[in-house]
Amino acid sequence: MKRSTILSTLAIALMSAVSPVAAADIVFGGSAPMSGAQAEFGQSQIDGAQLFFDQLNEKGGIKGNKVVFRPLDDRADPRQGTLVAQQFCDAPEVIGVIAHMNSGVTLPALDIYSACEMPQVVPATNPKLMEMGYKTVVRPVANDFKQGALPAKHVSGKLGLKNAVLVHDKTVFGQGIAGVFKENFEKGGGKIAGTFGVNPDDVDFSALIAGIKRENPDVIYMGAGMPQLALFLKQMREQQVNAQFIGPDIGFTVDLIKQASPAFAEGALLTFQLPPYDSSPELVDFTNRHQARFGRPPGPYAALGYVNAQVIAAAAEKAKTFDRDGVLAELHGVKANTLLGPVAFDEKGENVTAPVYLYVVKNGKFELVKE
Amino acid sequence: MGKSVFLRRTGLIVTLLVCVALLVKVPALPPYYVRVADSILIYIILAVGLNIVVGYAGLLDLGFIAFYAVGAYTYAFLASGQFDIHLPFLIILLIGAGTGALAGILLGFPVLKLRGDYLAIVTLSFGEIIRILINNADDLTNGPQGIAALDRARIFGLPLISPTNFYFLLLILTIVVCGAVYFMERSILGKAWRALREDQDATRGLGINTTGLKLAAFAISAAIGGATGVIFSAFQRFVSPESFTFQESLLVVLIIIIGGVGNIVGIAAGAILLIILPEVLHFAAQYRLLIYGLVLVVVIVLRPNGLIPPAFNLGHVIRKIQALWLSPSNT
Amino acid sequence: MLDYLLQQVIFALAIGAIYGLIALGYTMVYGVMRLINFAHGEFFMLGPYLFTFTMAALLALGGLPPLVDTIVAIVVSFVAIGVLGIAVERFAYRPLRAYGRLAPMLSALGMSIVLQNAIRVTVGPQPVHFPAIVPNSPIEMLGGMVTTTQLGILAAAVVLMAGLTAFVNGTRIGIWIRAASESWTTSSLLGIRVNRAVSLIFFIGPGLGAMAGIMYASYYGIMQPTMGSAVGLKAFTAAILGGIGSIPGAMLGGFLLGAIEVFGTAFLPIVSGGAVGTEYRDVFAFAVLILVLLFKPAGLLGETVTEETVVAKKDY
Repeated sequence: MKRSTILSTLAIALMSAVSPVAAADIVFGGSAPMSGAQAEFGQSQIDGAQLFFDQLNEKGGIKGNKVVFRPLDDRADPRQGTLVAQQFCDAPEVIGVIAHMNSGVTLPALDIYSACEMPQVVPATNPKLMEMGYKTVVRPVANDFKQGALPAKHVSGKLGLKNAVLVHDKTVFGQGIAGVFKENFEKGGGKIAGTFGVNPDDVDFSALIAGIKRENPDVIYMGAGMPQLALFLKQMREQQVNAQFIGPDIGFTVDLIKQASPAFAEGALLTFQLPPYDSSPELVDFTNRHQARFGRPPGPYAALGYVNAQVIAAAAEKAKTFDRDGVLAELHGVKANTLLGPVAFDEKGENVTAPVYLYVVKNGKFELVKE
Repeated sequence: MGKSVFLRRTGLIVTLLVCVALLVKVPALPPYYVRVADSILIYIILAVGLNIVVGYAGLLDLGFIAFYAVGAYTYAFLASGQFDIHLPFLIILLIGAGTGALAGILLGFPVLKLRGDYLAIVTLSFGEIIRILINNADDLTNGPQGIAALDRARIFGLPLISPTNFYFLLLILTIVVCGAVYFMERSILGKAWRALREDQDATRGLGINTTGLKLAAFAISAAIGGATGVIFSAFQRFVSPESFTFQESLLVVLIIIIGGVGNIVGIAAGAILLIILPEVLHFAAQYRLLIYGLVLVVVIVLRPNGLIPPAFNLGHVIRKIQALWLSPSNT
Repeated sequence: MLDYLLQQVIFALAIGAIYGLIALGYTMVYGVMRLINFAHGEFFMLGPYLFTFTMAALLALGGLPPLVDTIVAIVVSFVAIGVLGIAVERFAYRPLRAYGRLAPMLSALGMSIVLQNAIRVTVGPQPVHFPAIVPNSPIEMLGGMVTTTQLGILAAAVVLMAGLTAFVNGTRIGIWIRAASESWTTSSLLGIRVNRAVSLIFFIGPGLGAMAGIMYASYYGIMQPTMGSAVGLKAFTAAILGGIGSIPGAMLGGFLLGAIEVFGTAFLPIVSGGAVGTEYRDVFAFAVLILVLLFKPAGLLGETVTEETVVAKKDY
């Protein structure tokens, strides 16, 4: 009895998993961690993309065809990522994907996507991904090279600070971007006084900060996620370490200011791939729509998810046939005006102009640092 | 009477044929299903390996995935541009089993006098230490970046490319491992393990070397873990530390408990349930893990001895077949 | 250098007190049930969430001074999570009592997944700012710096531990609990209502966990759905280190783990001459744990496992 109930529940679940798609619909896949510790970032990206596709459908879709977005959870697990990739490949109606958020998940999946000639927009920012020679991928968002280099040049050049400490969380992203910062900072004549690894889920940095205090650095670059950036910033100010704090894109959120407290966040530098949210009507509109659709302001990667969706839709818009070949033929040639400005790709699939902006926290708000 | 034996015999043949047909037919499904089947087989082998320690010897090992990681990195070191070593797959499979066993013995030696939960927490620590070391040793393992573009595995010159190739490889390995473990279970070694599980002190009182027994259990199970790691890494052609978290260790333990401790048939059922469940639950989006957790609790509470009753094990199945076969049909 | 050392000791005490408080919950349940309650970290996580909702509700009702609001919210969180603890025991653990020790442990793991994701889907996965309950101001002390929150956490930990010890040793109900943890069957034969003792344990343990969660959130200024699983594992390690089942052991284990972590971060790179970086902190902590268990196989203050200890004869 009981067993049969479980079984029938499973059977129903299995059937409903394959949701019906009308013949003329255009289906795009998307994948990011939607459960587990990184769910917040993955979900924000999925939400951003969903928002764009909803908007597109309101305007009549692509050449009158409705667009369906099919997000799947990869749990930030490489094995799960390959299963998701295969699932998209097997579904002939999926003619493009936005996947994945983590470099470690994207790497083994690239093989599978390219084998089924799936047009792929890559959200992961690790530079290595586009060096592997795959022809099916593009990346609209700036990679970690640009994001690490900009603040390094700014502090070593314009601010004339020469003594830095690096903190990173031993993830592909954190360690990678800290390494890029280091390279550029040293090129600018700076010196790295020390590099410290922490755990991705640490919350107490007090012992580490007391140690860093003895190095007396004037810059601290932290390659890590949230809330770690906010917690570190708060705890270092509590210990009266007044060095210039710099963090990557994940920290570009009001949560950083709220969680570190506005007084402690003051003066912190952060990089982000978009111009200020209030700098263009599109961005203001994006923020308002996100609030209206999901009942909360855009999460950390929502805008980037939106941009990735704009790119894949632009390729489909120009495609002669609505299948993978059609989209793929147009993918590298896409020239689109997106939330982050004009997008065009080089032969590797990297965005030629992918901009990165530097922000400073001033009076509890992010302000663009003009070059 | 004779007729019913005939009927039952026919029924058995049909059941067996259907089972074989199902296994052989899997590759005819879309590649996604084959990949899921590959995952299930990987976890069946892992769980059958861990079951030697947990189910037979009665020791809880919460760091089993470390041996899987050792095997996976063995392949990555010996078949990639990392050190520019390119050994044949089957040789690495043996080496992987060896390095796994070695790691098992290394862990086993110091900790085997510990009992119960203390042993569990030490194995957990060992698993975490291995993962963190892999993540930190940038020069050796590329740290969190992982090792990519591993060689394609070849067996006697034939390349293993598609999920289907790996499906058959894994199927053969599953049958070999299950068979070997089954005979081990029925051997004197298996009986000694069971004695150890029921009462360590009495076992020692009988003059049996309990430390040696535990060490053997750890080494054999770790060897199976190591070999599976080699295949996993050859299949993904990429390894990184995030595949070897504590959660993965827990998953393998869960498969054993959900299916039925010490029961190979149960383990297969457990692996099928726990690997398919998250795939089926994709439709539930952010509710996926919530439902997954609920199903876990409900299944454990309703069937505390495992999905498959302890009596219905591999031995039972084989005996059933034998009995039906040997019984005179014309009486 | 002395200042530096002193400062690090203060940090170690503050972190250790929190680990110790959570470890108390693991150890109490373990003492009676021999169960690793994987869901305990989630009670810890639920504490600050429930506190925040209650505060918001009270503020909406209005009319009470903030101090009363806070106290009411703390009491409500303790009681509600205690009741949840009893319910979880009743539905997810009690049916499994006759089935060895692995089944309840994994049922607990399932409960942990359920509770964590219930919060994730209802409140959202993002970390949320948690306002400090007591104003956080630094005090100069012997050349080091202590904040009022750190002092508060330390005081709370010591008071709670002393209270719990007095409760278990001095009251009638405490004697039930101790009897149940000595021998389940003998106690029931002697007329002790073991189930009631178990329910009580599952009220106090999760309730204390929730208190620890509120302190933790107030100290770091943040709460998030995953905080329980991250800290829970560490607190469990602390409980093992001190000797699981022992209340003073949990506290000692907590402080020791705090000290090991701080040492691993602050001194390991110095001692090793830079060869071993701060990223080896956890390797160091786990290595110390293994070493301690090799010499004291039942943890620092745990009951020594002897040949005669019946419980340990059958491991799993």
